[in-house]
Amino acid sequence: MNAPCATHTLDTSGKCCPMPMVETNKTMKNLAVGDVLEIIATDVGTRTDIPSWCARSGQTLLSVVEENGVLRYHVRKEK
Amino acid sequence: MQSMAIVVRDDSYDKILTPLAFAYLTATEGTQVDILFVNWAVKALSVEGAAALRIDGRHGAEEEMVRAGVAKAGLPTEIHDVIKALKATGSVNFYACSLAGAIFGVNEGNLIPEASGIVGAAWFLNEKALKADHCQYF
Repeated sequence: MNAPCATHTLDTSGKCCPMPMVETNKTMKNLAVGDVLEIIATDVGTRTDIPSWCARSGQTLLSVVEENGVLRYHVRKEK
Repeated sequence: MQSMAIVVRDDSYDKILTPLAFAYLTATEGTQVDILFVNWAVKALSVEGAAALRIDGRHGAEEEMVRAGVAKAGLPTEIHDVIKALKATGSVNFYACSLAGAIFGVNEGNLIPEASGIVGAAWFLNEKALKADHCQYF
């Protein structure tokens, strides 16, 4: 499956909780509705944190891909 | 969650990181966070106290490793700098307990500017903790 096309990318590689979520929140605030953010992470805590944050904040998690310890999330801003 | 209240009593470097990390997470989602520093933790709200925080007890020798891990995680390694980052979210208030301040030497003369003031515990418990959606004690 092809990854959704991202309009913006946030690389949190190497960083751990709370920073991936802190930076994701900050970045999303500056995006427009409909933009797609690709979040790159190596913190395994994001496997649970990002899907639950999407559900809580009303954003859409389009895809999650994990390869060689690198997680790539595509999130569409809905509001 | 609209609001969260946290009471922190331990001032060792490693133990104070968790409540600050939790506050950072929730504040960036827009939750109002009010933190009361009691007992030894009140020293973290003074300039010299925040700079002097160390890892206590059996993990004391591992401080260098812990600070390196904190830096790798992306957080500032100095507690005062973490407090500044939380304050910059606009959603976190730091309060010093008046009793703790009197006992452990924190007053309006050495309080860090990020602190909202020295308050009575009764005020915090009734106006912040009781009214918050969620409370945590560290």
